[in-house]
Amino acid sequence: MLKLISCELLKLRRSNIIPISITGVLSTPLLMLLEALQTHFDKPELIFTLSDVYNDSVLYTMLLTNMMVYVAIASFLFSREYTENTLKTILPIPISRTKLLLGKFCALLLWIVMLTIVTWAGIFIVCGIYHTVFTLEGYSLLVAIEWFPKFLLGGILMFLTTSPFVFVAGKTKGFVAPMIGSAVIVMGSAALANQEWGAIYPWTATFFLVQGKIESTGYPTALSVGIILLLSAVGFFMTYHHFKKEDLK
Amino acid sequence: MEFIIETNNLTKRYGTATVVDKVNLHVPKGKIYGLLGRNGAGKTTVMKMMLKLTFPTDGTVRLFGKDYKDNETAIYSKIGSIIETPGFYGNLTGYENLQILAKLRGQLCINAVLSALEIVGLHKEKRKVFADYSLGMKQRLGIAAAIMHDPKLLILDEPINGLDPVGISEIRSFLSKLSHDNGTTIFISSHVLSEIEQIADIIGVMHEGHLIEEVDIAVLHKRNRKYTQFDLSDGQAAAKILESHYHITDFTVQGNTLKVYDFSHSIGDINRDFALNGLLVTKINASEENLEQYFSKLIGGGGIA
Repeated sequence: MLKLISCELLKLRRSNIIPISITGVLSTPLLMLLEALQTHFDKPELIFTLSDVYNDSVLYTMLLTNMMVYVAIASFLFSREYTENTLKTILPIPISRTKLLLGKFCALLLWIVMLTIVTWAGIFIVCGIYHTVFTLEGYSLLVAIEWFPKFLLGGILMFLTTSPFVFVAGKTKGFVAPMIGSAVIVMGSAALANQEWGAIYPWTATFFLVQGKIESTGYPTALSVGIILLLSAVGFFMTYHHFKKEDLK
Repeated sequence: MEFIIETNNLTKRYGTATVVDKVNLHVPKGKIYGLLGRNGAGKTTVMKMMLKLTFPTDGTVRLFGKDYKDNETAIYSKIGSIIETPGFYGNLTGYENLQILAKLRGQLCINAVLSALEIVGLHKEKRKVFADYSLGMKQRLGIAAAIMHDPKLLILDEPINGLDPVGISEIRSFLSKLSHDNGTTIFISSHVLSEIEQIADIIGVMHEGHLIEEVDIAVLHKRNRKYTQFDLSDGQAAAKILESHYHITDFTVQGNTLKVYDFSHSIGDINRDFALNGLLVTKINASEENLEQYFSKLIGGGGIA
């Protein structure tokens, strides 16, 4: 499996999607900096801490920008084999389609975790800049480290919810359809971010879980977890079935 | 005879369209088998089924004497292939692309990558990414990928597409050498008869999904018959002279053109006889029906390409 993952990572060398995805996930730290500056100048009496910034950034990360970036990279990873006609070079090699698929999902997970770390570190760096100029309460590496597991959990949960988009990318052999789909689910997430129903909508349930908000919605945590896992399993299975049975025309 | 590839009633249907219909192919060990056919004849689909890229609707494929689904690892580690235009990652160099394939195959010897690139003449372009390759270079990289692991069977779908004449000649020589020196079995498709004719030991002809001919090239050359063509004033009168004076029946008459396939008598004698019987011979031409004409007839005219 390590061999497959290293191949997947090698395939990304010099790829434009790497800087694009990093730029994409850095939009959250940038937005946080803009929000901090706006608050500083409009409401100077309001005191906020690094922890507050991280808390607010989880919403942007999980429901808006990062989710779209993750769908884009998931679609790229899987659809490029069709658009660049590489499957007909790879599939005759004696390696099972199942292993190839697993290698891709592992590479996707690694990439998502890496980008989540970039977001987390980016927030710490922009807050550091803000702190140097205006002073930010509670700015310390320890606080940032306290938030790290939440970001990591968020990244893994978001990875689980990308599997249906992977299926769409494989089925449509491109990433236009999955990107349209991600725009739709992001709009749904924005609408349900403060609603109780958000606990049963997979893409906001992940956010509620990370923020510990499920209980306040009245829905059991197990239900939200179950819905996320079910969605993920359906996505994985449909991708597997399609990839395994597909005729390469 | 030991067959490296053997198909039995191999069939592929897409909806109601049958693109490959009950194909029974036999590729003997160590031979070069040329699969000929016009575009859309079903050649690529046959190859894709052999390589697990497409699943047969019906029929079986046996590779190295075993069903291709049995022990895939052992079977496919001995196969190199190119299907249509080779697909590689545009952001990677030729070396990196081959490195990925070598890793996936579990090839530990990285020299194999360099040596394959050298064979196809791409060793000096190590830093160029695939997206910047010309069509010919892409095709060469495809060939390098196919031969990198020293396969026992090569399945090549139109491998010389995009190559310049020198490149075509080099690849042709290389494939012949592989087959004759290493005993590599080569299954190669093309819609260009002249290319196949020069290297193949056996030729299979596909047309509209059917394999309509599978023949040894030596037999085929024998079968393509020589004839002498006479253009003269009266074809029918000349035919009577052939039958009555020489007992020749193996000829055809079309208007005032007579084609004689029987060489048991001297052309000079026949010509003199025609003249003595008052026939005016305007042209005598010794000719041989070439393979292209033969295949054009076989697939219903219109040429192979």
